[in-house]
Amino acid sequence: MALTTRQAPAAQASIRQPKGRGPLAWLPAISRKSASNRSLLRYVAGLAALLPALALAGIIVILANKAWPAVRVNGVSFLWRSAWAPGNTYGNPVKTDGVLHPVGVAYGALPLIVGTLASSGIAVVFAVPLSIGAALAVVEKLPRRASYVVGMFLELLAGIPSVVFGLWGILTFGPVLSRDVYPAVASIMPKVPILRFFRGDTGYGEGLMTAGLVLAVMIVPIVAATTRDLLRQVPALQKEGAAALGMNEWEVVRKVSIPWVRAGIIGASVLGLARALGETMAIAMVSGSLLGTMPANLYGKMGTIASTIVQQLDGAFSDGTGFAVKTLAEFALLLAVITLLTNIAARFLVRKVSTTALPVGRGV
Amino acid sequence: MTSIPMPASAGSKTARADMPLIVEAAPRSVSVQAKDLALGFGSATILSDLNLDVRKGEITALIGPTGSGKTTFLRSLNRMNDKVAKHWHQGDVLLEGASIYAPGVQLMALRRRVGMVFQRPNPFPMSIAGNILAGVKAHRIASKDHYRDIVEARLREVGLWDAVSNRLNSSPFSLSGGQQQLLCLARALAIGPEVLLLDEPTSSLDPVTTENIEAMVRTLVPALTIVIVTHNLGQARRISDRTVFFYQGKMVESGETSQVFEDPKEPETARYVTGRMG
Ligand SMILES: Nc1ncnc2c1ncn2[C@@H]1O[C@H](COP(=O)(O)OP(=O)(O)OP(=O)(O)O)[C@@H](O)[C@H]1O
Ligand SMILES: [Mg+2]
Repeated sequence: MALTTRQAPAAQASIRQPKGRGPLAWLPAISRKSASNRSLLRYVAGLAALLPALALAGIIVILANKAWPAVRVNGVSFLWRSAWAPGNTYGNPVKTDGVLHPVGVAYGALPLIVGTLASSGIAVVFAVPLSIGAALAVVEKLPRRASYVVGMFLELLAGIPSVVFGLWGILTFGPVLSRDVYPAVASIMPKVPILRFFRGDTGYGEGLMTAGLVLAVMIVPIVAATTRDLLRQVPALQKEGAAALGMNEWEVVRKVSIPWVRAGIIGASVLGLARALGETMAIAMVSGSLLGTMPANLYGKMGTIASTIVQQLDGAFSDGTGFAVKTLAEFALLLAVITLLTNIAARFLVRKVSTTALPVGRGV
Repeated sequence: MTSIPMPASAGSKTARADMPLIVEAAPRSVSVQAKDLALGFGSATILSDLNLDVRKGEITALIGPTGSGKTTFLRSLNRMNDKVAKHWHQGDVLLEGASIYAPGVQLMALRRRVGMVFQRPNPFPMSIAGNILAGVKAHRIASKDHYRDIVEARLREVGLWDAVSNRLNSSPFSLSGGQQQLLCLARALAIGPEVLLLDEPTSSLDPVTTENIEAMVRTLVPALTIVIVTHNLGQARRISDRTVFFYQGKMVESGETSQVFEDPKEPETARYVTGRMG
């Protein structure tokens, strides 16, 4: 029998090999739906489904294991302390709780936690409305060809490596902002709650605000492209219903289109937030790399957990006790936990939103 | 002079039978008027030579085979076709004597006067009460203190109150299809339109719900003027005062429902209403 197609060997195998034998015997047999093969398939699928969970658990366990000595020495106050002192790496190391470390070490994560959350928060605050606006323009306003072009640019933007954003941020975006935008903003902001944070010394373009805005530019494509795809799914029937009720375009968007995809937009924003929380290279370049102190104000130099890890890793290896590296592992663990918590919080938010508003499997 | 249309099936209790007989010698005044209306999309002409008077306070049924332009015509009465790509029209549509296509006509205001219920229910992603109030809020018809009363009144009007009064704040998507359609009807009524356009409102519903909606719609006249598209000839006979027969984008015949069904003037109408076409 001549083998003319690619599928032929598999088909032959299925003929020759009875079910259950041979490593790939289940492959062609799926269509035959034999009971034992189905249970094998379920087993394999279950394993594949478990894989992400296993990977996550593995990463956390390995990180925690590496970080454990540092966790014991740095203590719980690590979380609310502002300090960055690697200690005297040339002197004789000492032991605390049986963990060897240089004399005079003091690490505190608070500035980096704040830097990470604040820069990502700024990014989301700017990026989400911008993304929704861009997505609405693409779906509702622009002619077909223009929306295709805009969509293409969004996808291109999403593919640009973060080091390019970082370089652009430090060479162009940051300086322009600090020269033309920040001072103007800072001077007009009144001394009222929240807005007063926008006052003060605006620096030279490296710092929290610049980092947040660079992150915003980086996550806009993700959030906008997802939101665009979501908005395209809003049924015309519902939008026409709103228009037929005499709503204007903006009301249709606000009352029907956006609520229809609200849960999805939250999901997309969390994707963007996760990217921002973990962004390393661009932040390392535009943050000003401040260690051990809180940013002076919204424009002040700062650091994030991720950027600090990458910037300090090299130096950490010069700590002969290995304590600096263990502390970086503790930071990494912290970042993983923060990301996890944000995701869980978002999941709750999505569930809450979708039970009140979204159609859940109840079409007509 | 109106007359009682024949029930579709003998013995079935029709909404019409309960209605008092209103006998009027003089023709009722006209609510909506299509004048030499032609309409199309791009190079396609969908409707042409359309002249039709929709009488005030009556139910006008639009019947005709699939693709004959009933929906397109209905949508031209509240300008829902405007946003369709490459839409064009000639001629005019008058509402109470004034052109709805005249420059300066506000779409929002027009659609407040001419409401619409679609073929399939289309509740908005907000609470049941929110759905009823959506138009009320958009047009700022009432103040907040009246919201509760409006919701209750409208839901009672369509006979949905008892079913949903305990879950006004939950999602409308948990309602049955028929209930959702009633909700959409209540939503359209809440802004107090003069004219209500119904595009096959019961086509996806069971006979009992259909009968309820028919009875409900009957109670809306003569306060409202209703134009209803239906493929259900029995429905057209049961609820409409006048019937218009569409065929291939043209109005072939219009007249009192009993006349159109029992004594059609045009051969196409005769073939359609006797079930030999469409
Ligand atoms: N947006 C559009 N673009 C182009 N052609 C359209 C559009 N909408 C409707 N048509 C065409 O107009 C014609 C009439 O359609 P319409 O929906 O008005 O028919 P109908 O009488 O309501 O049919 P049905 O009873 O099946 O609902 C059809 O041939 C349809 O293909
Ligand atoms: Mg139709």
